[in-house]
Amino acid sequence: MIRILVLLAAVTVAVGGAPDAAAQPAAPAPAIRLSSCTPEILAAVQKAKPGAFNVVCHKTPVRMVDGKAQAARIDSIHADVMQQGKRLTFELSADGRVGGMVDEHSDLVGSSSKGMALLFWAFAAAAVGGALFVVTRRNLIAAVMGMVGSFLGIAAIYMMLYAQFLAVVQMLVYAGAIMVLFVFVVMILNRPEDEPVAPSGRAGQALGGLAIVYLVGRLILMLVQVQPPDPAAAMAAPPGGVQCVAWAAGACTRQETYDWGSITAVGTDLFGPGLFPFEAISILLLLAVVGAIAVARPLHGEDDAPAKARSEGVA
Amino acid sequence: MSNILWNVGYGHFLVLAAVLFLIGVGGVLVRRNALIILMSVELMLNAANVSLIAFSRMWGDLSAHTFALIVIAVAAAEAAVGLAIVVAVFRGRHNVEVDRLNTLRH
Repeated sequence: MIRILVLLAAVTVAVGGAPDAAAQPAAPAPAIRLSSCTPEILAAVQKAKPGAFNVVCHKTPVRMVDGKAQAARIDSIHADVMQQGKRLTFELSADGRVGGMVDEHSDLVGSSSKGMALLFWAFAAAAVGGALFVVTRRNLIAAVMGMVGSFLGIAAIYMMLYAQFLAVVQMLVYAGAIMVLFVFVVMILNRPEDEPVAPSGRAGQALGGLAIVYLVGRLILMLVQVQPPDPAAAMAAPPGGVQCVAWAAGACTRQETYDWGSITAVGTDLFGPGLFPFEAISILLLLAVVGAIAVARPLHGEDDAPAKARSEGVA
Repeated sequence: MSNILWNVGYGHFLVLAAVLFLIGVGGVLVRRNALIILMSVELMLNAANVSLIAFSRMWGDLSAHTFALIVIAVAAAEAAVGLAIVVAVFRGRHNVEVDRLNTLRH
């Protein structure tokens, strides 16, 4: 996420900023993001902020001083530091004095960010509303559409939990393939349901309702109290992205690690420790396909008008 | 109260999973149409997946993602076989209400 934002900012500046500065030297030139800081600057930044990564020097190529264009100079230096799971951006001067924090970004699920909370409630409402639609509608197509909405909400919830690959799989396999299969079967059956709720006695209904309310209450009370094993580590942004692993001679040795929940990370796990379940699943899917064809195929001895008509037509 | 509203933590994801699972259970218990029952089962599998992913993030362990993928594959197999059974039942009886599938009872 952060990398994408930085990339976007860099592209925006590279596309829009440079020609502006060349065409109108009189106007205050926009800062151009160049990470080509000199080794002296990098050394000073490293001394002031150990563990800083992604040091960016903002250069203004042309600057008007007393009506004269002055040559390129470094305007400001920004350095990103990870502290307690937050990415803090500090402004530094060229001699290594820390100017102050200019930006704070946290990628936390449990952050106090209100936008995150609003998104969570919106997608949770979509998931629960779709699920209620499935259970309450008499129209089968409406139920299937509610199911699709529920699956999309759940995919967004996966995304909030840093499970990007699973979110995409959820949308492709569930909202795409499985629900299309359901729509096909609904179209084949084409019968509205007579009565959605199974009749039962009044006492049985009351007793069942009480039991469900009690169980729901206990479950929710228990789940709210669940604590992560190590709150500080669990709340931190997951590992990933470009990280500074070592400093030598004022230069940062960057290492690209794969993101948590990305296809690389999940694939590494799937083809390492999870290899046997993965192979077993392929056999299961093969058996399911063969079984589905065997079960759904019209039997020749049976009284099946369409099949008989088809076979007679061929013959 | 405002803390619960604005401070979304792991409990929220787990409660969401529980609510989805309970809606699925309710659908299986209350509805009579075999298709809706199949969809409710899918809903319960999804709720289990949500709680798996939440716990995975909580413990910093990625192997739950693998497990969730396997659950999705099992759900796909279950949907294929279940829908085949529904089609086969409909072909023989021209309805798919589970209350009427009581031939073995008599």
